Amino acid sequence: MNRRKAIGGLFAITGIGIASFTGFKFFYGNSKAYRGQLQNYATLIAELADVIIPPTDTPGAKEANVHEYIIGFMESCVSNKEYTNFLNGLNDLQETCLSDYNTHFAACTTEQKIVILEDLNSNVDSNSLLSKIDKKIRGRSFFTMLKSLTIEGYCSSELGATQLLAYQPIPASYKAITKMERNQKAWATS
Amino acid sequence: MMNKTAINTFDAIVVGSGISGGWAAKELTEGGLKTLVLERGRTVEHIKDYTTAFKNPWDFKHGTHLTKEELEERPIQSSHCDATDKHFYVKDSEHPYIQEKPFKWIRGYQVGGRSLTWGRQSYRFSEMDFEANEADGHGVDWPIRYADLKEWYDYVEEYVGISGTSEALPHLPDGVFLPPIPMNAIEKHLKESVSKHYQDRVLINGRVANLTEKKEGRGQCMYRNLCSRGCPFGGYFSSNSSTLLDAYNSGNLTLRENAVVKEVIYDDETKKAVGVKILDAITKEENTYYAKIIFLNASAIATASILLNSVSPSFPNGLGNSSLQVGHNLMDHVVNEGTYGTYNGLLDKYYEGRSPGTIYIPRFQNLNGNTEKTDFIRGYGIQGKGKRENWESKATEGIGVTLKAQLETPGKWRISLGGRGEVLPNYENKISLDLQNRDQWGLSLVKVHFEYGANDLAMMEHMTKASEDILLKAGFENVGSYRNSPPPGSAVHEMGTARMGNDPKTSVLNKYNQMHDVKNVFITDGSCMTSSGCQNPSLTYMALTARACQYAIRQFKTNLL
Repeated sequence: MNRRKAIGGLFAITGIGIASFTGFKFFYGNSKAYRGQLQNYATLIAELADVIIPPTDTPGAKEANVHEYIIGFMESCVSNKEYTNFLNGLNDLQETCLSDYNTHFAACTTEQKIVILEDLNSNVDSNSLLSKIDKKIRGRSFFTMLKSLTIEGYCSSELGATQLLAYQPIPASYKAITKMERNQKAWATS
Repeated sequence: MMNKTAINTFDAIVVGSGISGGWAAKELTEGGLKTLVLERGRTVEHIKDYTTAFKNPWDFKHGTHLTKEELEERPIQSSHCDATDKHFYVKDSEHPYIQEKPFKWIRGYQVGGRSLTWGRQSYRFSEMDFEANEADGHGVDWPIRYADLKEWYDYVEEYVGISGTSEALPHLPDGVFLPPIPMNAIEKHLKESVSKHYQDRVLINGRVANLTEKKEGRGQCMYRNLCSRGCPFGGYFSSNSSTLLDAYNSGNLTLRENAVVKEVIYDDETKKAVGVKILDAITKEENTYYAKIIFLNASAIATASILLNSVSPSFPNGLGNSSLQVGHNLMDHVVNEGTYGTYNGLLDKYYEGRSPGTIYIPRFQNLNGNTEKTDFIRGYGIQGKGKRENWESKATEGIGVTLKAQLETPGKWRISLGGRGEVLPNYENKISLDLQNRDQWGLSLVKVHFEYGANDLAMMEHMTKASEDILLKAGFENVGSYRNSPPPGSAVHEMGTARMGNDPKTSVLNKYNQMHDVKNVFITDGSCMTSSGCQNPSLTYMALTARACQYAIRQFKTNLL
């Protein structure tokens, strides 16, 4: 277990982290003043989204401009708490990269990037009562938001909806029962 | 040169342009009456003003999400709208009301009203529903029976275009149907399971006002399932796509938008209403319009508030309110939050196109000696829909290539079910005016006082258990229900605030929706409902409106009004 993981585990138990400490300042300060910062993290967010949805035979999140969706959503649609969680999450992640890999996220190898994000992923996929209560009090965590916004932004982007998924703007008819075809893609909208 | 009064004089005035006001406009104008429709909101022209109808998912900056600011302006409406249709809902910040107990008043102030965003579910009331109050003593007896309304249901269904199937159920009469929207594989599976496991219930195609075949002036449904944005094809029924266009084409329609009705003016001498006073929504300027017949179709809460605000020496408690029933007996339908489950089979089946329809399990409680005796009276039906999970509903694991593969493929089948139950009429559930607090037009704010009764709550509990049982018997997994029920008003079926009845002492309207006290005022929106049934009520409002208009036109032409 590396140092960060050990500390991370401890933070998870006590519910307090360094990031959260800075978060308190954000939360209790003049909240409006802290909006508008995420554009500075655009490259990092694009890199992160591209690890969550990488380019394969279909475009990845970066090409689909998912970072712009994430930034727009975080700037306009979330509570101050969640904005702070997200901003702190980005900063924590940068710190982790520096301490564990001695470089910025963007400069990490693909394998390292995956390890970093899978690590975050393994800490949030809990649906326990405790984590639900925690979510209610503290807002959604950084990674929960990052992943769900990446999925949402990608699947509703033009590239995602029309290439990874199947999109019909005007079906014109309804075939209620069809046979699944080989490699049948899911519908982009329902 | 005509004086202002002459210019402002019509044969009939209709207040409101939603689903029932649209019908009043069509019937009265086609009957030859010069008709003024007053709409408090802005113009929405069919097709042209459906500004989001052709947008793709990526054309919305934040997907379907409202921004923080938009949410703050819409603390109540936001549970019913999103970024794609928010322009058809009011901003609560501009249109306040007082909730003495939690009650959602969902509104669309524009030409077409909520007919643009309605759920399109269309079911007839049955003989049993019209007899319900008399049978168990709640509320007052309906002054009409199914036979009085049957031909009017036929008439409006033929025009509206309802897709559905004939089922020969005495408690849910068949109608004039277009071909049904077919069921998909999971819905068929559930239908078969319901028939196999239960003697007392069936699962049928939902009856929805979506055109499975085109009608004159309206194209057939394109299966986009984006109805609430307004349909550029006219694929579902709204005032804008249908009744208002016919009214306009008659040459007898004058439509005045941005007209907030302040009061109906009553003449103590002639014992009739003579006109309607309005305030321009934008300039706040006052104006009066005159007519021999007045139809109030502003929706249950707004119509009652107009009556209560129309005070005269003869009616110190509000126009036509000698019974003191105006504003009382407010009902909505009791809804549970919903039950869901997934099904791990039929994975070789999918569908193409997006159905705007539903499945429906009509009421199966307290019907006759053979059905279940419950601890509540009357009953509920269950509506639902089946789909395969996609990125919106799938729980995914991990990141990267494996995540992408999960998103790319259709997931398990999933069905959601939700009950819609009858709420008993109760005098204590009411709207009234707050004379201290006023809106931006200086009109008293509406106060809503509504609470579910024990019967309503027992029904809510029952519908959740029954829905879970239905899914479990059909082999569904992960069956669960949201335990918090949405606040009253959430069904957006508010009604009952100026009820029909035989006795002027206990009701506001007679069997032709005519005020007992003021014969030239008719009310055919949800206000008139004597009981709520468990069926979605718009179809009944439309049938009652057409019937009342025919009566009013006859009276008008024989100079009885």
